[in-house]
Amino acid sequence: MTRPLLPLHPLTRTGRVMWCIALSLFSAALMLFWSPARADDSEAPKAESPYFAVNSSDPGTDRLPLKSTHVDVHISGVIADVTVTQHYRNEGQRAIEARYLFPGSTQAAVHAMSVRLGDRLLTARIKEKQQARIEYEAAKKEGKTSALLEQHRPNVFEMNVANILPGDDVAVELRYTELLTPHDAQYGFVFPTVVGPRYNSPARAEGNGAAIGGAYLKSGEPSQTAFTLRVTLDTPVAVKEIASPSHEVMVDGAGTWHAVVSLKPTEVPANNRDFILNYRLAGDRIESGLMLFRGPDDGGENFFLAMIEPPKAIATKQINPRDYIFVVDISGSMHGYPLDTAKVLLRNLIGGLRASDTFNVMLFSGSNRMLSPTSVPATRANIEQAIKTIDAMGGSGSTEIVPALKRVAALPKADDVSRSVIFVTDGYVSVEAEVFQLIRQNLNQSNVFAFGIGSSVNRHLIEGMARAGQGEAFIVTKPEQAADQAERLRKIIESPVLTQVKARFEGLDVYDVEPAQLPDVLGGRPVMVFGKWRRDDSQAGLPVNAKLIVEGRTADGQYRNELATAGREDQTSSALRHLWARQRIAALSDQEALEGNGAQKPAITQLGLTYSLLTQYTSFIAVDQRVRNPNPSLTPVVDQPSPMPEGVSNFAIGAEVPSTPEPGAWLALLVVIGIVVATLWSRRRN
Amino acid sequence: MSTVIATEPSGRWLGRFDAMPPLAWLALQAAALWPHWRWAAARVMDGSDDPLGIAALLALLLVVAKLEPQLRGAPKPGWLVLSLFASAGATLAVFAAPPLIGALLAALAMASGLRSFMPSGQAVLPMAGLAVLSLPVVSSLQFYAGFPLRVVTAQLSTWLLQALGFAAERSGTAMQVEGRLVIVDAPCSGVQMVWMAYFCACAVAAFSGLRDRQLLARLPWVGVIVLGGNVLRNSVLVALEAQRDHVSEAVHQGVGLVVLTLVCAGVVWVIRGGHDAHI
Repeated sequence: MTRPLLPLHPLTRTGRVMWCIALSLFSAALMLFWSPARADDSEAPKAESPYFAVNSSDPGTDRLPLKSTHVDVHISGVIADVTVTQHYRNEGQRAIEARYLFPGSTQAAVHAMSVRLGDRLLTARIKEKQQARIEYEAAKKEGKTSALLEQHRPNVFEMNVANILPGDDVAVELRYTELLTPHDAQYGFVFPTVVGPRYNSPARAEGNGAAIGGAYLKSGEPSQTAFTLRVTLDTPVAVKEIASPSHEVMVDGAGTWHAVVSLKPTEVPANNRDFILNYRLAGDRIESGLMLFRGPDDGGENFFLAMIEPPKAIATKQINPRDYIFVVDISGSMHGYPLDTAKVLLRNLIGGLRASDTFNVMLFSGSNRMLSPTSVPATRANIEQAIKTIDAMGGSGSTEIVPALKRVAALPKADDVSRSVIFVTDGYVSVEAEVFQLIRQNLNQSNVFAFGIGSSVNRHLIEGMARAGQGEAFIVTKPEQAADQAERLRKIIESPVLTQVKARFEGLDVYDVEPAQLPDVLGGRPVMVFGKWRRDDSQAGLPVNAKLIVEGRTADGQYRNELATAGREDQTSSALRHLWARQRIAALSDQEALEGNGAQKPAITQLGLTYSLLTQYTSFIAVDQRVRNPNPSLTPVVDQPSPMPEGVSNFAIGAEVPSTPEPGAWLALLVVIGIVVATLWSRRRN
Repeated sequence: MSTVIATEPSGRWLGRFDAMPPLAWLALQAAALWPHWRWAAARVMDGSDDPLGIAALLALLLVVAKLEPQLRGAPKPGWLVLSLFASAGATLAVFAAPPLIGALLAALAMASGLRSFMPSGQAVLPMAGLAVLSLPVVSSLQFYAGFPLRVVTAQLSTWLLQALGFAAERSGTAMQVEGRLVIVDAPCSGVQMVWMAYFCACAVAAFSGLRDRQLLARLPWVGVIVLGGNVLRNSVLVALEAQRDHVSEAVHQGVGLVVLTLVCAGVVWVIRGGHDAHI
């Protein structure tokens, strides 16, 4: 008889017991050494693309810490001094860190920030960006209330406020100055309220800076953040035609030298679109002239600003053959109202072409396609065909603007043809630097005009494209503005105002003049020159006596204008320091975008630190030295959601892809219970 | 038959324990495992899982109520020991394992405890199945089994649609059908249908008195029917999505419910042995 392989067969009584014991021991060992995976996203990087805000199931965390934004604007002459106060209040039961992505004016020189925490006032200091971030993270970990303001783009900022305890009311106040440039004798002040959801291309180059993400409310969902705004206008002559095309406003003192404009109270905060205020001065004058600021005697710098009214436009007699390339953004963020506005604009633009012109249309989103392989004459049939194609398009997909630009740059062009490239987009991308570089390098034989479409466009991109392409920027917020803007473009192209512009001083030693090369004046914008000047010690105590001479060519021939400096010194215009530095930083940033590799970082950082300005390499930081939060490591980060810009659909963040979900759980359960009961019933009956 | 009357106090207490009805023993065991039920209730209450388990729990209670007159006073030691081990395991799991593992052990402990009081030859598998289905398992199933199910469903649907002449292609869990992108996302995985089908199988088996061995042999077919049903549902909806601009919610619900009815009918047919199955 052979011995069994297993001494205790599992089916014998002893074997069964032994089998159970072995299984139990095995299970116990499994359980003891089990290391359950736990989700921990505390160190997870923040989302790199815009996303829809999700309500938390944790009622103890205040997910909407920004309770109000108040904007106080004081416009004196051509300089706007803006104070923005953001109130953060934690109405939850847990301490939080608030993060808020918000926009600024493209020309804003942010020069001061302070934090009011109860009765304590903390003044923020300007620091090198990396250093400020390190200090902020350290203060956050120690449980100190702190605030950090960083710049992502010249018009996109991020506020971080750490350790806001339950019941805290933290008021962060930031101040900036801005130069208001009139256009056709009309002044415009713009306060953007929301950063549009940006498309971050996966192929984004390093030099563009960080991706721009942020939390968004769904389209039509009102913001819970109160928004109030007040503008005070002090002008040397009476102000007239004060109006806001974007908001309902109350105007006090129209027709006088001192006017006050404030927002009409509304039930829903009007913070889902740019606030735009337009006005004119009596006699359609503009504040042209020369402004001098004398710095402190102990070696302080002196600044000047010259604004010269352009000559009247006269149509040129000689008309060169013209070729127009229309490049139209049909991405998801343009879906609906913005694209409808773009269609009206294009019908006006294309419909107004002369028969001798040629044109082509490129539609781009994730990919791009041309209306025809080469430009076609602007005949009625071709125009009808183009309008039909444009009418048929709907907005969806991503915004790959760089490949579209490259394709436009590669289009062949005859030497005797003057080409204009006209971009129509909302600018919701994060590749601004790459776009500017491409335009400078590849479209230097063309004039680039950029039309920003929508209630809250990326003005940095639109204005930057026009600047890089020696063109002009246009903003169209409503379809009814399309015809006027199309007409304006036609006039600009047909009637260049002033070319080969040069400016020089006589009797004044100037340096660091911005811009180094004056651009052609295409529209009704004044010529602007910033710079510094040196004092003549031999003339100490005497007013500066010099003159600025501006020369150029108009359709009529030579142009020359002189501005005397006598009596132009204004010691209240200290804002010129910041405005000059801001202009300088913009010029260096343009240069850096061309050269790449952060070539201008040291210079921009130094300017930011010297003039206390927020830049891409400098940030504002304020730290309360008291340790207030005993458990900083358990403090959640709350992304303050922004409302979706007015007229922008949810397609801007994500298009809905159809799927095949199962039926509702309760309905399905009813069906199953019905089947079970019917089965048992039939069985019993049988 | 002689009755021994205890005269010592301890003996009297033991006698009272012996006289306790089986359901009281089971209630005591359930009370001992309360942390698991509390966890399950919290998961249902906070919305992290569908409350479908309530239906399974009600079905289990109905089965127990139906069996109650047959429950024996003296439990079977084998099942009782198993129940004891499972209870101990569930208790240990509170400290050392994810809550779902502990709750599963607790559910099996209850099923084993119930089985120990049941007469010989009674099936336990349907009760164990209903006990497990009464736990919040749908989200976990979705997490672990959802993706593979989605890939398999998408692939089988693609083949089916190709066979029917559609231009279909699969990429991950997304399908490109007639140039339109349709995704097979989490709500399309068929996990809910899996729960419904196994609930149907266990309930029918429990109320029909199907033996464990028979049920065990037929359960794999339930899986096959569910997979087939989900592929059919998905294919019909994808084909509709590919041909129209927008397929209404009512159509989605209608197709889903019709296919679910077919799947459950198939499950009943299989569980009842095929030949005598009819609703």
